[in-house]
Amino acid sequence: MKLFGSRCDCVLAIVRKDFLLNLRRRATFAAMMMFALTTVASLSLSTGGAILDEKFLAAILWVVIFFAATAGLSGTFDDEAQAGTLSTLKLYGDAQAILFGKMFVSMLSLLALTIFILPIFCVLFDVNVEKIFLLLATILFGLIGLAAAGTLTAALTTSAKIKGGLFAILLFPVTLPIFLPAIRLTEISFTSAQVDSSLLVVIGAFDTILILASSILYDYL
Amino acid sequence: MTGIFFDAVTLSFGKRKIFDNVTLKFDCRKIFGVTGANGSGKSTLLKLAGKILHPDSGTVNFPDNAQIAALSPEMKIYDALTAVENLKFFARLRGKILSDEKIFELGRRTGLDMKTFGNERTENFSTGMRQRLKFAILLAVDADIWLLDEPTANLDDTGRENFFAEIQAAKSEKIILLATNDVAEAQICDEIIRLPM
Repeated sequence: MKLFGSRCDCVLAIVRKDFLLNLRRRATFAAMMMFALTTVASLSLSTGGAILDEKFLAAILWVVIFFAATAGLSGTFDDEAQAGTLSTLKLYGDAQAILFGKMFVSMLSLLALTIFILPIFCVLFDVNVEKIFLLLATILFGLIGLAAAGTLTAALTTSAKIKGGLFAILLFPVTLPIFLPAIRLTEISFTSAQVDSSLLVVIGAFDTILILASSILYDYL
Repeated sequence: MTGIFFDAVTLSFGKRKIFDNVTLKFDCRKIFGVTGANGSGKSTLLKLAGKILHPDSGTVNFPDNAQIAALSPEMKIYDALTAVENLKFFARLRGKILSDEKIFELGRRTGLDMKTFGNERTENFSTGMRQRLKFAILLAVDADIWLLDEPTANLDDTGRENFFAEIQAAKSEKIILLATNDVAEAQICDEIIRLPM
């Protein structure tokens, strides 16, 4: 219990530190936001106000979130490695606390990204959200999985000599089992179709698997 | 705190064998100096002692509950955080909450004026000031094992004197390994291990 408490303290310290660093050096977060904004605006302009299929719209939303996430999450550990602070962090911090601290920060970044881009997406594509709570639950569950997989992949690719594109290539197959049901549920939330709650269970199950796998594998990195 | 034990440790980097079947014991209450030419493996020996690196064969052992702290040129602090934020962060990672008094005391012991520089981002610090802050972090976490790699590099005379005084005061309850080629640093060591090239 004491160990759990001290790990939670350690996680909170890492979250606070990363929050301060992100606040003072906004480059990573700005890159995520700008990528999402540019993509959504470009697609909206190119479709010229045409009415798009809900399935297509749901896919666009998740593709934008995925690629904006790769722009931000790939530096989760690499930015620290480049700055030389990762070895200090690893020496003083507990490995599991570092993993979960970074995962939590990734989750918060993705949440902020989604809060920023979702209203813009809905306005520009004239999306009518029929089931707002289903959409919010889908996004929350999807982002948890993306944050867990993104954090582990970022840890894996930190020591790679050639990093260009590697993060996205490794992240995509890992997150695919989350994206497919997430796209389907997002599509349902845009229509009056009946909710298939088993898909939410599938995403939740994959989230749990990804978090557990990250926790087990991180000790070996 | 009993000690760090190297049992038949072998480590190679590529085809170059750095350590071949090395058996060593580092006891408490002594400062162990590790000297040798550049590339002889001084920093590597410290990393092995702290289990930051793992040997190809053999084992390195120290008590499970022992905590490690290190001072090395490779280990950097957060440039975008202030001196106080850095200190509090690293101490917090080891479950220690630093009061303002403790921060001022650490500043005094390391010769870093926390009143003037405590709330300044470390990106504006000189190399010597960063070294003093890293030293303050080492003192703040109060670990059982100190791994010091060229610890007084970039420090002025006062900084070096502060460091030597602190390390002498701490050695009774710590295991201290100091990698150096500096004569003054080597002189404070109780035992010297010279690594062959």
